[in-house]
Amino acid sequence: MIQHFNHQDTTLETSAEPRDNGADVVIGNNSFSVSRISDGKYSVELNGVRHTVCCVIRGDRAYVDVEGILLELSIPSEDGNAGGGDIGLAGEKDKIYAPMPGKIVKLLVKEGDEVAEKQPLVIVEAMKMENQVNAAAAGTVRKINFSDGDQVDTDTPIIELEI
Amino acid sequence: MAEKLFRKILVANRGEIAVRIINACRLLNIPTLAIYSTADIDAVHARLADEAVEIGPPPPLESYLAIDKIIAAAKSFGCDAVHPGYGFLAENPLFPEKCEQAGLAFIGPPADAMRLMGNKVEARAKMAGAGVPIIPGMKGAGADLRMFENAAFESGFPVLIKAAAGGGGKGMRIVQQPGELQASIEAAMREAKKAFGDDTVYLEKYIENPRHIEFQVLADNHGNTIHLFERECSIQRRHQKIIEETPSVALTPALRSRMGQAAVRSAEAAGYRNAGTVEFLVDKNGGFYFLEMNTRIQVEHPVTEMTTGADLVVEQIRIAAGKEISEYLIDITQRGHAIECRIYAEDAEDNFFPSSGDILYYEEPVGPGIRVDSGVTGGTTVGVEYDPILAKLVVHAPTRELAIAKMINALREYKILGIKTSKKFLIDVLSHPEFHAGRTYTDFIDQNMADRKVDIVPALEVAAAASSLAMMEKPKAATASNTRASQPSPWQTIGAWEIGMRISK
Repeated sequence: MIQHFNHQDTTLETSAEPRDNGADVVIGNNSFSVSRISDGKYSVELNGVRHTVCCVIRGDRAYVDVEGILLELSIPSEDGNAGGGDIGLAGEKDKIYAPMPGKIVKLLVKEGDEVAEKQPLVIVEAMKMENQVNAAAAGTVRKINFSDGDQVDTDTPIIELEI
Repeated sequence: MAEKLFRKILVANRGEIAVRIINACRLLNIPTLAIYSTADIDAVHARLADEAVEIGPPPPLESYLAIDKIIAAAKSFGCDAVHPGYGFLAENPLFPEKCEQAGLAFIGPPADAMRLMGNKVEARAKMAGAGVPIIPGMKGAGADLRMFENAAFESGFPVLIKAAAGGGGKGMRIVQQPGELQASIEAAMREAKKAFGDDTVYLEKYIENPRHIEFQVLADNHGNTIHLFERECSIQRRHQKIIEETPSVALTPALRSRMGQAAVRSAEAAGYRNAGTVEFLVDKNGGFYFLEMNTRIQVEHPVTEMTTGADLVVEQIRIAAGKEISEYLIDITQRGHAIECRIYAEDAEDNFFPSSGDILYYEEPVGPGIRVDSGVTGGTTVGVEYDPILAKLVVHAPTRELAIAKMINALREYKILGIKTSKKFLIDVLSHPEFHAGRTYTDFIDQNMADRKVDIVPALEVAAAASSLAMMEKPKAATASNTRASQPSPWQTIGAWEIGMRISK
């Protein structure tokens, strides 16, 4: 069984051969022996080294814990669409979103401003803390869709950049 | 338990601390009433208490901060005492006053002591009068920028802007250069206004390389005030504690004893009762300065419980019922080393932004000397309405080195899937050579973790390999998780705790 998983701009192709209580999985040049320990818990062996991994599939996402490292993989649907899209919106450096629903405390730039990579653009308050949102890339502020004090969700970009 | 201290206790909080209080009440055979907002209808604390009552919509002002609603609920359910936990109403002096007027015992300090310590400016003046050292260069509160500028130039940069009514890092800013002063004051005032309803801020000299070391105190109504040693809470992110430990590597027995006595003096000068914490900054030369007194049970109280054997929440309830401090605490000693890690719902790889979602998989670490105080479980929806703390992981071991190793393993074994958590970040802090060396200053994160990178490449293929098997199992797994959801959660069946430790099933 061939399956694809996306993480940011990486796509992994897995080829899995089921066996009793597990599967042999090939990714590139590596062969993994995966065994089920319990619901959501797996042993993954590579080159004689075993890793205990927790993994839950929900919708088009795989939520995985590899020895303390938390990863979310998106699973493209079988018709070739990109599933839940890229994790962390890394592909959309020209659109600045609120990290989570909250309130705009202060816009630090105005339309037409030139901004450098990592330059603070806006302060969003969520969960009682003020969070600074920085530019993912250098560019010019093309459009600002909100004003100070506005409530924002995570679907509409606060700021759009020309990069 | 021969004598019941209270008829029924209302737990005026949510999350892990509400669970902690409910379990302490079980030890004392006191029934509990939980309150919950409509966002918390399925929350662990609401399910675990003997009774639970919906108190209002999600915004705290309409639920967990609604004093009149909470008191009305206590009266109508036949409670005779209220435990505020930490946060929310825990340090609002109106709450103990209104409780008293309604004939309810407040499990915490008297309103006067709370009011005094709640005003950081007045508190420091009082402490200075009682012979407790305070930070040099202190200035009173003021709203005039010119006043701040003068004060800042007098004490020299960097300076610290703090909220007079503050705590927990909210409304607090370090200012490195004169040019940043105005913007920082404005930001601090905004945060202070929002968090505490009071935008008064003040300025003080910022001590570099300080350690944050606090002392737990207990005071009863019979004239006894004791301390239960220190907790070092220097590992902070944006002035929010994330790792706490005891004992502190920075204290000699002589310094510990002097600070402990100063803590007791502070509590006595404030007319303090019940459990409280006196916070100090300790500089490189062993000088210590009173910071503030927290008039509540602290998030990090379990490390003290692990090393002293005390049950601080039980003591709080006993003291509020008019009992003396338990006799076993009078000649208490520290045994071994304890560390606590706060598990937050936040993404350490993306600016620590709060994370929300459903917990799809939940498994706590177990083993000797491992304690989890959690407010969540499998199936819990973590929202954006409240503080992002999910749980506290606490370990106890004979030495600091062993405690660090135990904590790293326990963090690896603590599985929470579906939301982002600060777990990997905590593992990296604990694994850092500077942490092992005990060079834990309050700027540890900025100094040592700023360039931190997580190499996910090796983990990525392992994750994909496991995911591909999970995909093949999907129909089976879905059935299995449905079955699990219908079973009673461990929270519903776990029963009592023993000295703050959950008895394993």
